[in-house]
Amino acid sequence: MFPWQKQKTAAVQKRKERKISRNLKSNVAYIEEQFSYGINFDFVSQEIVSPASRYHLFFYSTTIDTQQLSDHIISPLLEAKKDIPISRILTVPSLASIESMNGAEKGLTAGSVIIFKEGSPEAFEANIQDFKHRSIEKADNERTVKGPKDSLTESLTTNISMIRKKMPSKDLIAESIEVGVRPADPVTLVYVRDLVNNDVLENIKKRIQSITVDNIRNVEVLEQFLEERPRSLFPTMLYTERPDNAANYVSEGFIAIMMDNSSSCLIAPITIWGFFHSPEDIYLRWAFGNFSRLIRAVAYLITLFVSATYVAITNYHVQLVPIDLLLAVASSRERVPLPITYEVLLMELAFELIREAGVRIPSPLGPTIGIVGALILGQAAVEANIVSPIVVILVALSGLSSFTAANYSINHTLRISRFIFILAASLMGALSLLGAIIIWLAYAVSLNSFGVPYFSPATPHTKSSDDTYFRKLLKNIKWRPVFLKPKDVDKK
Amino acid sequence: MKKIIVILFLIFLPALLGGCFDQKELEEQAFVVSIGVDKTDTRGVFRFSFQIANPEVGSSATGTSTKEPAQAVISVLGSDFLTATNAANATVAKEITLNQARVVIISEKLARSKEFIHLMQSAPSTVDLKLNAQLVVSKENAETFIRNNKPRLESRPHKYYQYMLDRAKETGIIPDAPLVRFFQITEGDADLFIAPYATTIRDDETEIGEEDHYKAGEIPVKGESQTQFMGSAVFREGQMISTLTGEENRFCLMFDSTLAQKDILISFNDPLMKEYQVAGRLDINNVKVKVDYKKEKQTTINVFVDFNINIHAIPSTVDYIQSLEKQRILKNSIEKQIKNRGERFINKTQEKFKAEPFYWSLHIRHKFLDIKQYEKADWMNKIYPNAQVRLHFNLEGLEFGKMLRETDIEEVRD
Amino acid sequence: MELLKKPMRARELIAMIFMLIGIKGGDTTPSLFADEAQNALWIAPIVSFVVILPPFITLMYLLKKYQTRNLAELLHHLLGTKLGTIIGIFLFVGAFISMAADMRNIVEEINYLYFPNSPTIIIYLIFIVICLFVANKGLESIGSLAWAVLPVIVLTIISVMFVDFQATVWQRIFPILGGGASIVIRDGFSLSSVFLEFFLLTIAYQAFHDTKQFRIGMYTGSILSVLLIVLFYMIYTMVFDYNTVDNIAYLYQESTEIVPLGHFFTNISTFFMVGWLLSNFLRFTIFLYIICWLYGALFQIKRFEGLLMPISFLAMILSMIPPNFITNEMIVRKTSFHWISPIYLCFPFLLLAASLWRERRKL
Repeated sequence: MFPWQKQKTAAVQKRKERKISRNLKSNVAYIEEQFSYGINFDFVSQEIVSPASRYHLFFYSTTIDTQQLSDHIISPLLEAKKDIPISRILTVPSLASIESMNGAEKGLTAGSVIIFKEGSPEAFEANIQDFKHRSIEKADNERTVKGPKDSLTESLTTNISMIRKKMPSKDLIAESIEVGVRPADPVTLVYVRDLVNNDVLENIKKRIQSITVDNIRNVEVLEQFLEERPRSLFPTMLYTERPDNAANYVSEGFIAIMMDNSSSCLIAPITIWGFFHSPEDIYLRWAFGNFSRLIRAVAYLITLFVSATYVAITNYHVQLVPIDLLLAVASSRERVPLPITYEVLLMELAFELIREAGVRIPSPLGPTIGIVGALILGQAAVEANIVSPIVVILVALSGLSSFTAANYSINHTLRISRFIFILAASLMGALSLLGAIIIWLAYAVSLNSFGVPYFSPATPHTKSSDDTYFRKLLKNIKWRPVFLKPKDVDKK
Repeated sequence: MKKIIVILFLIFLPALLGGCFDQKELEEQAFVVSIGVDKTDTRGVFRFSFQIANPEVGSSATGTSTKEPAQAVISVLGSDFLTATNAANATVAKEITLNQARVVIISEKLARSKEFIHLMQSAPSTVDLKLNAQLVVSKENAETFIRNNKPRLESRPHKYYQYMLDRAKETGIIPDAPLVRFFQITEGDADLFIAPYATTIRDDETEIGEEDHYKAGEIPVKGESQTQFMGSAVFREGQMISTLTGEENRFCLMFDSTLAQKDILISFNDPLMKEYQVAGRLDINNVKVKVDYKKEKQTTINVFVDFNINIHAIPSTVDYIQSLEKQRILKNSIEKQIKNRGERFINKTQEKFKAEPFYWSLHIRHKFLDIKQYEKADWMNKIYPNAQVRLHFNLEGLEFGKMLRETDIEEVRD
Repeated sequence: MELLKKPMRARELIAMIFMLIGIKGGDTTPSLFADEAQNALWIAPIVSFVVILPPFITLMYLLKKYQTRNLAELLHHLLGTKLGTIIGIFLFVGAFISMAADMRNIVEEINYLYFPNSPTIIIYLIFIVICLFVANKGLESIGSLAWAVLPVIVLTIISVMFVDFQATVWQRIFPILGGGASIVIRDGFSLSSVFLEFFLLTIAYQAFHDTKQFRIGMYTGSILSVLLIVLFYMIYTMVFDYNTVDNIAYLYQESTEIVPLGHFFTNISTFFMVGWLLSNFLRFTIFLYIICWLYGALFQIKRFEGLLMPISFLAMILSMIPPNFITNEMIVRKTSFHWISPIYLCFPFLLLAASLWRERRKL
């Protein structure tokens, strides 16, 4: 440890150990100094004198419920006739006694009211916090037609309450551990006690605890700290905003990782199939769900390979193309100045630009992007003989298909991989394209997410619901995924 | 990591810029749809004609259509397909590729010469040339054939060949003859190979006869298109020896179990009114060839053909439809007529060709254990020419289409 | 962290065997058999399989009996370190030569059919680099990959068969014994090392979930592969005739080339290259990996992944010595098979003898 770090930790340590004194004045002075009273406009330091004793209240006016404060704290205190303990005066539902200044500070930052009493070495924390957050809204990023519509919101308590509502069981545990130091943020692991695999749970906890960074505010950042291969193209945790999806996974023995300030949660460990499945697949009837899976599988293939295949075939394997199609393609290319590879790359890049702009653009300007994208880049480019119409069709097709991805993280994987394949195809046609595919696949297969092979249960094979490309009839699903080694395997 | 990415990118970039060895842009290539080969006076040198499709014609539904012609024909000299392709590139800016060629046209003169088999030997080792391209023998020079060929209804030349060959094959007047079949049969050295026979020069002297007794060029057609596909050229050991008429070709298809059995339009003499003919569509249900091989004695070949006929024209207006007795007469008559014609043709093959174009050598193979014995028995030279061939035609079903009875013409005239 | 120890099961092994041996139905091996056996080329592999069955079963029996980790350990255990290593080196050299010759063939095939203007060495380099990348991921990834790619391969095989069946004439299979009974049997014997990979795979005896899974996978996989090979060879005979079949080097591609699928798809042979190339990448990845494993196990090299690069490049350089493909196929490959076959046919019996002798001494 470096010397300056030693000093810092020593100071932190010292402050942590400070006890609450019997002298109210010194306590008040200390807290007021620590919380920059007078500068912080919303920090309130209020003295209350009742007939029996003197009290002092500290709170952030912005984080508490003022109604409860006046009804359940201030009025009872003012009316207290006898010198009885605070815990018997106040009528708030959650009241805790604290002995150290550190506890008082934590309580204050968490949005509680801290009450000191003259001559008492303990303070009380009344939890009447009222942090403002969005109400529960419709799931925007993972839409379904059939199935529940609610989505997680930026409040942990609300989120846990949604999960608990879906799984009313005493075995559902929401365990909180801390990450970071400045300040330490709680991370909540949600799991089912008698299903979860302890090794995986311990592994996740250990990894969270071993993160050495001053703060992590939400799961989006946490995800990157937790992953084994942060540079990898493949995500190893599922990011979902749907509480029903999270509850489904948790009830299978997976672990959901939640934090305050995130309107989503992480599911770990996850296999590649998790990114391919949409919660709607289960809500839809067997045939419909599998049909939509089939469409999605085709879309994934189109996204990944259609442009690359076009480049490989037109540059190297012309004999494969039926002559009618070949002549059609050749005639459309007759006046195009760019080589095919550049033409495809140019259009793919243009599509990515439209996509990126579409995400960033303020919503009032949204419609313009469609006009610019479709008209200028598509129609005009073709009419100006910059690109051939076939390439526009292919790029639009592959771009469109990439949005059928059931999950946002895998959408990036697909789109970036597509560029790798296009480059590979331009190098040596099918030979290098297939080589790139097989290396890509070998890499994907070799991955694991918290000890679970990425392609299980397909390979290596384990007993499970066999929910890979297609799903079975729900009544035929007998096993929980054994690749997780859950404590209870049998679903019946 | 950054370094690796930079290095990878640097490796990729030149490859992207230059492309690799086999990279060819689409528009840099000229696609040959048919190849014609002619004999020249010099031995071992042939005249190759390449018909190249112009992709710009007939491709776009909208936009300006070009005034360029739909096709270009280039003739060069060369000793095999590959050298000829290279020579042709001297006059064509684009690189000539043969891999879309669907038809190889050989002039009759070349096919009848001994050089033909040497030319064909170079075909399989030409990577570009696909072995499922069709072999066609033209009566005139292949170059003339290609140049005369001006399709009226198809804007793309390859489509023309495709449709033309398909239609002719469906009616049974020409055989299916991909290059690979030429090699299989020629190398097998037991049967005759037949290829479609075509011409663009009309022979004006022929008269109207029975509809299938024509060879290419003899059909009296009036119209702008000169091209005719009719009958077939017969190859023995890689050399053309004779031609078959359309009708004879139908018998080839009928007796050959390896060729697709298509329904055939055919006409017969009306047994009850001799001056009229009956026309119908003949479906072959089943062909069985049984070879009764005896080592020293004469071999007997029994051919069983089961077929259906769907009569669709009875110009004589004899009421076959409602009279079972008349149907029986018709049935017997058809069987007899077809048998006579078949036997005439078999005799011709045995006496004139001294071999058969029906791929019947397949049916004797299982009598032998290994190839040595089989080759020693010598199907082509010893067994078949001396064999006794018995044809058994069996008309299984006679149908009369959608008519319930014939119109009584006498009554109409009233 | 690993949740599952040794997760590979019979299905991964079957997929690997399929890639390693079943794919010989689509390379230049049939033309090796067709050279003399002509249209009986499909009988010869059956003979070969029957010939290697007794030594192979002996080997499996010994592995089960001694519960050793793998082939190299069994050699060391039964024959002593010195003799065991020498036999092991023989096996290694045989497999190495066979791999080098096969690799050259495949590369020539890719070169000739799909990239005729590129230098062989470039294609060879690309091919080897791809195989190395995959091989570096380790056996479990290779096994999983083989299983993951299997659907594509099976689909390709089924569609190739469907396409080829349209061009088959079943009577061409006669005369049934082709070049003659004696030739077929002789070829079957001398080329039996076409199946030498079966012996090599026993190096992975303990790498699977349990040894029972290995045995199940081994027997099922080998029977399926041989079935596939025989079926393919039969199709080649029936598509081409006996005189043509021994002229054509790349039967797999040529057979698909002659069949058009309707009017639209006239040249479909390149389409079947997808499955063919994928399986060949995997085939040589597996081959390379088990060869390096054998070498590593013989000389107690723990991290044998480091050997992949030198061994593969050595194989490449050696295999580039024959001046052309025909020499490589008809002389190098054929002669080497003649020499390798006896080694692979005899060594299990040598091991059995050593085992019996040991038991006797114990009594």
